[in-house]
Amino acid sequence: MTGWSGLRDSRGRRCLVALLVIVLGLVGCSEPVFPRDPEKSLERIMEGVLRVGVSENRPWSDVHDDGSVTGTEVDIIMAYAESVGASVVWVTGAESQLILSLDEGDLDVVIGGIRSDSPWSEQAALTRPHARSTGPDGKDEELVFALRLGENALLTSLERFFVSEGLEP
Amino acid sequence: MSASRFHHFDLPEEQSTALKKAVRLEWITITAVAGIVVIVGLTAGQSQAMRTAFVEDMLSFLPPIAFLVAVRRASKEPDDQHPYGYHRSVAAGHLVASCALLGMGLWLAIDATLGLVKGDRPPIGLVSVYGFELWAGWLMIAAMVITAIPPMILGRMKMKLAEPLNDKVLAADADMNKADWSTGLATIAGVVGIGLGWWWADAVAALVVSIGIIKDGATNLWGAVKDLLDSRATTVDGKSPHPVIDAMAATAQHEAWVEQAGVRIRDMGHVFHAEVFVVPKEGREPTLRQIEALTQRCRSLDWKVSDTVLIPVGQLPEGLTGARDSSSSPR
Repeated sequence: MTGWSGLRDSRGRRCLVALLVIVLGLVGCSEPVFPRDPEKSLERIMEGVLRVGVSENRPWSDVHDDGSVTGTEVDIIMAYAESVGASVVWVTGAESQLILSLDEGDLDVVIGGIRSDSPWSEQAALTRPHARSTGPDGKDEELVFALRLGENALLTSLERFFVSEGLEP
Repeated sequence: MSASRFHHFDLPEEQSTALKKAVRLEWITITAVAGIVVIVGLTAGQSQAMRTAFVEDMLSFLPPIAFLVAVRRASKEPDDQHPYGYHRSVAAGHLVASCALLGMGLWLAIDATLGLVKGDRPPIGLVSVYGFELWAGWLMIAAMVITAIPPMILGRMKMKLAEPLNDKVLAADADMNKADWSTGLATIAGVVGIGLGWWWADAVAALVVSIGIIKDGATNLWGAVKDLLDSRATTVDGKSPHPVIDAMAATAQHEAWVEQAGVRIRDMGHVFHAEVFVVPKEGREPTLRQIEALTQRCRSLDWKVSDTVLIPVGQLPEGLTGARDSSSSPR
């Protein structure tokens, strides 16, 4: 109960005031300056390519024999990429493989009818839901995209895009 | 509530008021913590951070509950099976409260360390508040500012009451409140850091405050165990022997018929149990009236020592404070 407990008095109050000042100062900053990505994903995407992993899951995503992709989620990604001035690079594969690549930083987004209650929340940041569907068990499920963990500027940017396009369950 | 009485101890006015205030503060604390659980739950979602906050909040419930239970039990009269009364319930409460505090510090430190080692990057996205979308980090910061204020005020008020009440549960709970608000400030710093792209900020901030919490928890636990081992009574902060020990030894020593006097006092929780051993001067064996008069004088030194017994002996036992031939206090 020495030193540290001194915080209880005037120092604690001063710390709080200082923090509030910092916080209010930061409120003035807008995205994508704040929040920022630890790995600068959004900055990189805005200057070039959005790397998207797709696993087949109709009607959300469909991978054709010639390697082209279609589907409602594919459309969302294309529209988003256009809005930030990026071109899309598609990588197809199994969902678990794609999530692994995402975690490694080789992909920016993984799509393909991923559900909000999917077990990937430890390996990936799941966005807010963009659509609702009925699962095979007859229960309602919400659909999300998976992003690399901690890339909060990209996460916020994509979610803002959902909101602006009225993509809600 | 019969809390203003500890069986045969009638509390003095100051202590009685302080105790009533403390009981009220603890009920407010429980209500506040419940409110904080709701606020944190609404803002943090079902993330990892939420789990950590939930564990902390659950631990914050323990000290106030321990205090209220201890006070209630301590007010019971002694009976056949509990001839010393129920004062030890306060010591038990102190043990519970200090374990909660230490547990919270350790949990925080382990959680933060694991997060750093695994390189956990907390995802914080958008949140909608009444049709406005904003970064959820702002909402978390707002929630933390709101939830840090009640423990800051409550902790300070409790510390002020702990001293006059000689209540270490209350002191431990005040430390818990300090832990609560400092964790809140750490979270604010952490979230701001995450916003700046420093994924490690949250964990580092948590680690920094956990050191102080662990220290407070360990100090309290050490004190609680020492009290249970009947170590010499100390002041509420546990740093120095309680002054009433010397005062009582001196009082006995100055009695005309006393050759040698020694005192031992243990902390039963709110109150002390004091034993005064006296060796009468050669040929001046005291009368019952003299013994009672001296006992009364010792008792009146402090409200905490009403459970004082005086024992005339031929030779002083070991380990007493204030024996004339050994000026220091032997352990």
